[in-house]
Amino acid sequence: MSDFWVMAMKELKNLFRDKKLVFGLVIVPLILLPVMGKAVSVGMEQAQETTNVAIVNFDDGEYGRILIKALEVTPNVTVTVVNASSVEEAIQRAIEEKQNVLVVIPPDFTAKLKANETATVEIYGIFMSIGAGVKESVSEGRINAVLQVLSDEIARIKVKNLGASNPDAILQPITTVSRSVINNNVVGVPPTVVSGVIAAQAFTIPLIVFMMVMITSQMAAGAIASEKENKTLETLLTLPVPRTHIVGAKIFGTAMMGLVAAIAYMVGMKYYMGSFGLGSAGVSLEDLGLVVTPTGAMLFALVVFTTIIIALSLAMIVATFAEDVQSATTLVSAVILPLAFPAFLLMYTDINDLPSFVKYVLLAIPFTHPVIDYRYVLLSDYRPLVISLIYLAIMALAILYATARLFSSERIMTAQVSWGRKKKRE
Amino acid sequence: MPMVEVLDLEKDYGKVKALKGVSFSINEGEIFGLIGPNGAGKSTTLKILATLLKPTGGSARIAGYDVVKEASKVRELISYLPEEAGAYKNLTGKEYLEFMAKLYAKDEAKAREMLELGMELSGLGERLNDKVATYSKGMARKLLIARALMVRPKLAILDEPASGLDIVNAYAIRQMIRRFARSEGVTFLLSSHNMLEVEYLCHRVALINKGQIVEVGTPKELKDKYSAENLEEVFMTAVGANISEPIGGEGG
Ligand SMILES: Nc1ncnc2c1ncn2[C@@H]1O[C@H](COP(=O)(O)OP(=O)(O)O)[C@@H](O)[C@H]1O
Ligand SMILES: [Mg+2]
Repeated sequence: MSDFWVMAMKELKNLFRDKKLVFGLVIVPLILLPVMGKAVSVGMEQAQETTNVAIVNFDDGEYGRILIKALEVTPNVTVTVVNASSVEEAIQRAIEEKQNVLVVIPPDFTAKLKANETATVEIYGIFMSIGAGVKESVSEGRINAVLQVLSDEIARIKVKNLGASNPDAILQPITTVSRSVINNNVVGVPPTVVSGVIAAQAFTIPLIVFMMVMITSQMAAGAIASEKENKTLETLLTLPVPRTHIVGAKIFGTAMMGLVAAIAYMVGMKYYMGSFGLGSAGVSLEDLGLVVTPTGAMLFALVVFTTIIIALSLAMIVATFAEDVQSATTLVSAVILPLAFPAFLLMYTDINDLPSFVKYVLLAIPFTHPVIDYRYVLLSDYRPLVISLIYLAIMALAILYATARLFSSERIMTAQVSWGRKKKRE
Repeated sequence: MPMVEVLDLEKDYGKVKALKGVSFSINEGEIFGLIGPNGAGKSTTLKILATLLKPTGGSARIAGYDVVKEASKVRELISYLPEEAGAYKNLTGKEYLEFMAKLYAKDEAKAREMLELGMELSGLGERLNDKVATYSKGMARKLLIARALMVRPKLAILDEPASGLDIVNAYAIRQMIRRFARSEGVTFLLSSHNMLEVEYLCHRVALINKGQIVEVGTPKELKDKYSAENLEEVFMTAVGANISEPIGGEGG
């Protein structure tokens, strides 16, 4: 085995046996994310269970009865008609019978409709306990939908009675058909749906890239700082191994750990998203004509890889200024976090809409590239990706060179920021 | 050609002048001791020889190779034990020795031989299969010295090999160094602030104080010269007499 591999294997062993690290990187995303998703979806499922609706009818005309029938055939709604002489009594009943919603049909309901006046139905959401209140709001939404249909139906009958031949054209003089143009193709999907799908993507990818950058740079910083903390650095630097191999092995080790973490996070995210049925239901990227080709995937993978290499070497440089793991992680967060944060700004903003000064400042930060480039991948527009890649590769080489230089100098042993105290060593 | 040749070595840490012109040389096969009080500049000298620090002035050669310009060549010949050192906590003692052996050995067979020697030298027996994190201070130090010696370096640079250990562990470590030096003919440069330890181990010693060499010679020569009972007395007299007028290079 070459000395690089001997060093790399040691890094891997040392990292993968770190229980805290493995816990944070693998166990948390693989267990916590699905559990979180499950918890949220249980709440949503409960909301989807049948809601119990109590109806009190003070009206004895035909329209009151039509309304009750319409609610009875509504899916996921169980209707109980309660007899009461006042609204207060009806509410009391509804509470006793653990109903979620009480619908009150007023005495003048039919009369008003017949007189061509607006009739009002009262809806009470009954909160048994102060929970999320999902059930109550969902029931209200369902009842409103039913009322809307009923309202439309009554309006149609009335308009017809007035002698119109095409009541729909009067009730709805303008209708719209929405389509989207994506990548020069017309897709029969409304723009709101398209932007919803893209927003979901725009949120997930930056989040995962951001997590990877933060986690791996913390690990790389830890890998350097622990050499200082455990007093192994001096020995390491006198071994008959080129310093570039030492740096390379550390980057390799943390990158591998980062890969494992990335997979764990992606699996975790899939479960998390899957619990909402976001992945399966609705519109997929393919439906929109947005396909990630192998070329696109490969270019994007390279962009992410170079970004992470940049983060790792930057973290290693920063870590040499710390004496122990804890101050190293703090220091690295302080440096990387502000650099990685602008990536979030771009989740909902198109970089080309920004003033050109801001645009170029953002583009100078390597960590914004994966976020921007992912959109180009979806559009199969590879030129910006290649330009990105060239820029990132130059940055990566420059930072790697700086790291190797730092490790070849004695600064690695003497560099140190002193906290609070005004003591500076050079 | 001497194994180590140090000429007018100087080192400044910012304003602190740690070394102010240190010169000495060590012959092949010698156990050479650098002795002096805390802050004298022992560790700084050894770190320069171990290619960790670069001198601000003067030069140092190991087996003819310059420690600055030919650092990677020097690293192949030496093994260095820092004053404060640790091993990778998540590895077992055996894995640690194996890792080091593979870095120094040119082939598998040689690596295995080094590993076996290291395991024997450490004297840790079954405990070698436990993680380093579970070792006591004395056990960790033995492991580190074993790793420094098992590679059979041309020059072993040991910074206070037995400091901070109890009598039993310190004795065991001195025994280990002495036996190994006799059987393998490895050249040693070690530092200590324990004059008696040095007297027991070293063929020749250099007394260092405030970044300057005060005396160089065999323990016997020095004791005779100062008509002293032991090196401690030699040191006190030498420092008192020569505090502003150092004697560089070969003494006696
Ligand atoms: N990294 C450093 N920065 C500043 N001064 C240092 C540093 N290392 C050592 N010194 C100073 O250099 C002098 C010599 O130190 P050192 O070589 O460690 O002495 P010894 O090993 O003999 O105890 C001391 O005054 C010490 O304070
Ligand atoms: Mg010292």
